[in-house]
Amino acid sequence: MTIKVSAAGNIELIGICSSDEGEVLLQHLLETPHMMVDWRGCESAHTAVIQVLMATRPRLLGPPAALLLEKWVQPALAATMDK
Amino acid sequence: MNEFLTQFVIESRELVEQATEGLLVLEKSPNDAERLDSVFRAFHTLKGGAGIVDFAAMERIVHAAEEILSAARAGKRTLTTALVGDCLACLDQVVQWLDVIEQTGEFPSSAEKKKADETWLAEILERNPGTRARVATALQFIPDADCFYQGEDPLAQVTALPELLALDIQPVVAWPSLNSFDPYKCNLVLTALTAASMSEVTAHMHGHSGTCEIREINPAQTTPQDLALPSQARGVLNEQRALLSHATSANLAGFVTSAGLTAENVLRSCALPEAAAIVAQATEKSLSERSPEPLLESIAQLLLPKPAAVAETAKVSGRSEAAAQTLRIDARRVDALVRLTGELTVAKNAAGHVAKLAQEEGNALAGVLKDRQVVLERLIAELQELVLGMRVLPLRSVLQRFPRVVREMSVSLGKPLTLEIEGDDTEADKAIVEMLFEPLLHIVRNAVDHGIESPGQRAARGKPATARIRIRAARQADQVIIEISDDGGGIDVARVREVARTRGVATEEELRLTSETDVIDLVFAAGFSTAAKVTELSGRGVGLDAVRTAVERVGGRVSIESRSGDGATVRFSLPFSVMMTQVMTVEASGQMFGVPLDAIVETVSVPRTAIVGIGAAHAIVLRNRTVPVVDLAALLGLRAAMSGEADATIVVTSVAGHFGGLHVDRIGQRLEVILKPLDGLLTGMPGITGTTLLGDGRVLLVLDIGELLQ
Repeated sequence: MTIKVSAAGNIELIGICSSDEGEVLLQHLLETPHMMVDWRGCESAHTAVIQVLMATRPRLLGPPAALLLEKWVQPALAATMDK
Repeated sequence: MNEFLTQFVIESRELVEQATEGLLVLEKSPNDAERLDSVFRAFHTLKGGAGIVDFAAMERIVHAAEEILSAARAGKRTLTTALVGDCLACLDQVVQWLDVIEQTGEFPSSAEKKKADETWLAEILERNPGTRARVATALQFIPDADCFYQGEDPLAQVTALPELLALDIQPVVAWPSLNSFDPYKCNLVLTALTAASMSEVTAHMHGHSGTCEIREINPAQTTPQDLALPSQARGVLNEQRALLSHATSANLAGFVTSAGLTAENVLRSCALPEAAAIVAQATEKSLSERSPEPLLESIAQLLLPKPAAVAETAKVSGRSEAAAQTLRIDARRVDALVRLTGELTVAKNAAGHVAKLAQEEGNALAGVLKDRQVVLERLIAELQELVLGMRVLPLRSVLQRFPRVVREMSVSLGKPLTLEIEGDDTEADKAIVEMLFEPLLHIVRNAVDHGIESPGQRAARGKPATARIRIRAARQADQVIIEISDDGGGIDVARVREVARTRGVATEEELRLTSETDVIDLVFAAGFSTAAKVTELSGRGVGLDAVRTAVERVGGRVSIESRSGDGATVRFSLPFSVMMTQVMTVEASGQMFGVPLDAIVETVSVPRTAIVGIGAAHAIVLRNRTVPVVDLAALLGLRAAMSGEADATIVVTSVAGHFGGLHVDRIGQRLEVILKPLDGLLTGMPGITGTTLLGDGRVLLVLDIGELLQ
């Protein structure tokens, strides 16, 4: 399990998040809509996971550990969330 | 762009010019009726052109303007400045459309659609101005909705693109409420810019599921945007200059800061970050130097017409290049060229004559002369071909009028029709193409009116309800063949016989001796019209004989073939070019005459005794066929009929299937000449079709065999 709720009450994405974990992330966010998502420990995230972030627009705690996520996905997410 | 559209654009531009010029005059003198007519005609032709190429939007707006002009012509409306303005605005719109058509080869509507398809490209380029210098390829990737099930990770695939410069992620459709959101369904559009080449990107994206559009970004696509400053932006920058010019030492800092910031923002919004940076530097310099000059100058630099002019010139020169490929030349100049080439041919023939004389006299230069003459002959033949080619037009320009005509006939006669046109790219001399419409229209009308049965009759005969008319054009060697066929009832031969007899076109005796094919041919005879009742379409008193006359006037032939019950085919055989005629010279009573080669079947030499008298006329029997013979000299009234012992030289001719022999003194040579029609006093002289000059300067009268032997 690389998605869990931390002691601080944030949803943490840790290590490699696979496509199945999109569902898990969505469930967490549905249960507690205002939770922050901490992806500082995220080394890679499947498109399905990123898509959940886009659709649910949680507040993100970053930057993510993966360079590609930081360089490309974070700005793109920020751009859509601004809208 | 196809040549049809090219032609449309060229012509429309000319018409717009003509109309604009006229409108401007009309604005000053609204009562200039002649000018009004010319403007109206220009609009009318523009509308017609738009209709032909099926450009409905243009047809509509031009029609609206035409209505205004029509009302003005009828005196129902005064052409006010406002109305002239409206007409001009209409023309402006047309010009814009024409530009689009010229650039894209498509009608603006489809061009706009394409543009909408490409907005993603423009958007991502705009959002990422910093990548301009490096971007080589853009990509829009919409993965399949179920791609996650197939183990795909589209985002990872795109972020792994070589030399990625920008990435944009958007939902395909707006996100649904979270309760109905399916995290296993991909709903993303991934747009990216990269510095990698198109082929690299294509290779990288290979094997994805979904749609992936990859576009090569050529520098040309980005530079004009870099250079061009929209007029609004220019306006704002100009205002800043004006503001700065009012700056005093007291308000300098505020003015400079505000003007500098505004200018920077404008430039950034125009996606010109480099220019914005320069302005920012200039602002700082102005502030530190306490002078508006640096900022003023940097803004002035931006406003210099140079960059815009560069873009503009590129556009303009692009246009003129395209225009240079098709040069529109006054038809009269081309005709002058044709005439001169004709004279050159005559001069060449003269040179040939001299060479022959030299040879006969054993002149040492004869060989050289002959060689030169051969070279000259070849060059002039090439020149002639080129020059005549300049007068060539595709038949499309007349055939394109028929779909509409046939449609109207179909409606007014209540006969469902389809028209098939084949080979409309066949070319022919302008003179031929231009004379074709009337005769073709006549034939088509006849086919629809008399040939094609009523829907009820067709059903009874087991034919499809929709009748078919086919116009087929093709080039066959020196001839252009046009066939108009229908699948109607064909020609009623018995009825043709009857009508021919009652109208006195042919006697009972003649009819009895005439074959079926020849009887059908009688429909082209003067005074023949089979229409039982005069309809709106045909039967207006002008018979098919008018068609035959028109076609024969340009050296063509008309024939008709009927398949009883299955329709008929009318065939026009037209010369490809009207200019060149091959003639053979003959001599009669010391005078030289030309006989068109296409009328000559053969030349024979027969013992004088073989010419036998039949009543008042003479004839020879040639291979079991009786050929009437006339003595050319006697026929032309040059002298009484020949007599003598030597063999007689007979030129056997055939015109419209009738054989005839011309008894001549001598046969000369074959010449290729440009036939000049008779004019002045000679106009209408029977038996002569035209004249040409011989090598030795004599005028050669070319005989009209059909008329002579009638």
